[in-house]
Amino acid sequence: MMSNNSNTASRQFVPTPAQPAPNMSAGFVAWVRDNLFSSISNSIITLIVIAFFVSVIPGIIDWAFISATWSGADQSACNKEGACWVFINAWSQQLFYGSYTDGELWRVNLCLILLALTVISSFTLPKSFRLKLSIPLFLVLPFICIAILDGRLLGLEYVDTDYWGGFSLNILMAAAAIIISFPFSFLWALGRRSQMPLARSISVILIEFFRGIPVLALFFMGSVMLPMFFSEGTNVDKLIRVWLVLIFFMSGYMAEVFRGGFQAVPKGQYEAADSVGLSYWQKTLLIILPQVIKVSMPNILATFVMLFKNTVFLLIIGIPEIVQTLQTALSNSNWLGGWAIEGYVFVFLIFWVCCFGMSLLASKIERDLDTDKRD
Amino acid sequence: MKTLVKLTALACLAMGANASAGTLEDVQKQGYLNCGVSTGLAGFSQKDEKGEWSGLDVDVCRGIAAAVFGDATKVKYKGLTAKERFTALQSGEVDVLSRNTTWTNTRDVSLGLNFAGVVYYDGTGFMVNKKLGVKTATELDGANACIQAGTSTELAISDYFRENKMSYKAVTFDTADQTRAGFESGRCDFLTSDQSQLYSLRIGLSDPSAAIVLPEVISKEPLGPVVRQGDDQWFNIVKWVVNASIEGEAQGVTSANVDEMKEKGKPANKRLLGVEGELGKNMGLSADWAYNIIKQVGNYSESFERNVGMDSPLKISRGLNAQWNKGGILYSPAMR
Repeated sequence: MMSNNSNTASRQFVPTPAQPAPNMSAGFVAWVRDNLFSSISNSIITLIVIAFFVSVIPGIIDWAFISATWSGADQSACNKEGACWVFINAWSQQLFYGSYTDGELWRVNLCLILLALTVISSFTLPKSFRLKLSIPLFLVLPFICIAILDGRLLGLEYVDTDYWGGFSLNILMAAAAIIISFPFSFLWALGRRSQMPLARSISVILIEFFRGIPVLALFFMGSVMLPMFFSEGTNVDKLIRVWLVLIFFMSGYMAEVFRGGFQAVPKGQYEAADSVGLSYWQKTLLIILPQVIKVSMPNILATFVMLFKNTVFLLIIGIPEIVQTLQTALSNSNWLGGWAIEGYVFVFLIFWVCCFGMSLLASKIERDLDTDKRD
Repeated sequence: MKTLVKLTALACLAMGANASAGTLEDVQKQGYLNCGVSTGLAGFSQKDEKGEWSGLDVDVCRGIAAAVFGDATKVKYKGLTAKERFTALQSGEVDVLSRNTTWTNTRDVSLGLNFAGVVYYDGTGFMVNKKLGVKTATELDGANACIQAGTSTELAISDYFRENKMSYKAVTFDTADQTRAGFESGRCDFLTSDQSQLYSLRIGLSDPSAAIVLPEVISKEPLGPVVRQGDDQWFNIVKWVVNASIEGEAQGVTSANVDEMKEKGKPANKRLLGVEGELGKNMGLSADWAYNIIKQVGNYSESFERNVGMDSPLKISRGLNAQWNKGGILYSPAMR
């Protein structure tokens, strides 16, 4: 019986402890097999890529870190084997702020902070008045910043636009242009969808004109052609001219972004608005616009990144943005050692960090705005 | 387009259009000189890490400011690209253009501009690797040439080689930096560019002493300041500011001894420095205009050596830019 009992007990189901997966199907080895050596052709490609990295990366690390010179006062501290970060260090203020008056740099910083705060406020404010508050905030921001940077209106020391420059100028130019292009592009996009022939044809001509011309050609027009139309002695500041050009260029692109947004809003929304008796502008501003902004957000941000990178083209008309400043630095007779690689690597990095940060921000904003699919 | 023009026109109205009288009067009224310079050319117009401008071209601006205001710092520099420089001058954005601009007939005659003299006689030259053992440019038959695309150098070198019935193979690059890299990596036997630039390119080589600049200069590139046509008073001022610094060197007046010369110098020194005669007054300037230039900016030799010559990293020898009695062609008309 005892044996019987124990037999019964032993018959009770006791699961065998799980065996670890075979080495070949889990863990690092399996990952390598699955992803890197899953077929002969994949294995060959993997080996080529590894060989490439092995041959290139140590050289880059050696150049950028091990043999590099980090501290010193001038180029005599540098050697030709490694990167000369002394060059970037010495020119960092110029590269970031341009020749903006030394003691007044806080004004540039203030503008950048205001810009950041406005951007943050546009998706952290309570929803009930977010749109009502952040749109006016955005629209006045460029003018506030111009007043701060220029200084005359606020009783600060006057800093001529010739002294504005560096990477901060890239950021502020791009931001100021895209913000002001919003209302223009919105109107152009409305005009393009309008039933009125005049409004429609004007919008189409403007949009296609500014979209059809390379931004470089537009810059030349702003810097070289526009002054010829003015009477002698009349000067519109070069930066303002270029800003206008950027605004119109951007408006052309953004109008198409918005048009896509208008088309994405279901027809029922228009009809519903009409049926409750809203006027054209009530319908557009209260019902359609919020939805348009929501669906267009990814494209708006992508366009902004494009514009931000396009601001380096300002160098060809001599605006001292970051690449122009870099070229100026490279042509200084005390820095003729050929430090172009260091300079451009620095510019790559700083742009990459900013653009990557913006795409992270963009995906966060998209998730916030994506109310449709939320349960 | 129309909207753009209208809007900008509105913007100008808002900013207030000011009709121009004489340039001198305008400059005096605004309190500083608007001077168009290059966005960056080693030794000629360059910015330092603090944002301060210096260079041979910049010294012309400083000289004019010293003559007009008695203060060489009253200059606002506008960095201009090659393409927009003439428009900037024509539209009045700058009062004088001092931007390594070659004085050519076409520019002088058909652009509504006047060249006010020459501050640097440049010309296309050659840089070769020392190892080649080449002593003159005539030995370069059949060689490969590194050239920067889109420059007047391309025309000059093709003319020169055709004239001398030699052949060459051009390897063109986009920027000066790439041209130098091409030369350094042995893509070509010689590099050709304006002489002033050859020296600055040479410094960037990993071993500058391995390359030599040949003595030949095969084209004329006289660089000088430019003003708008139709304002003779201003034209005269710029012209004589350049001459005053050249004449200062010829007379041996330097920033160090200018005070002494003013007191005890020869009659010619005293006339230059405004103790005698009415040179300044006739131009609408103060009597000590040239004194201020030499005191604050220095004479031509000081300016040259400090910016491009032996006291600078460029180490360009005077060559053609020496005084007429010292083997060069600098010659100021009589200061009387």
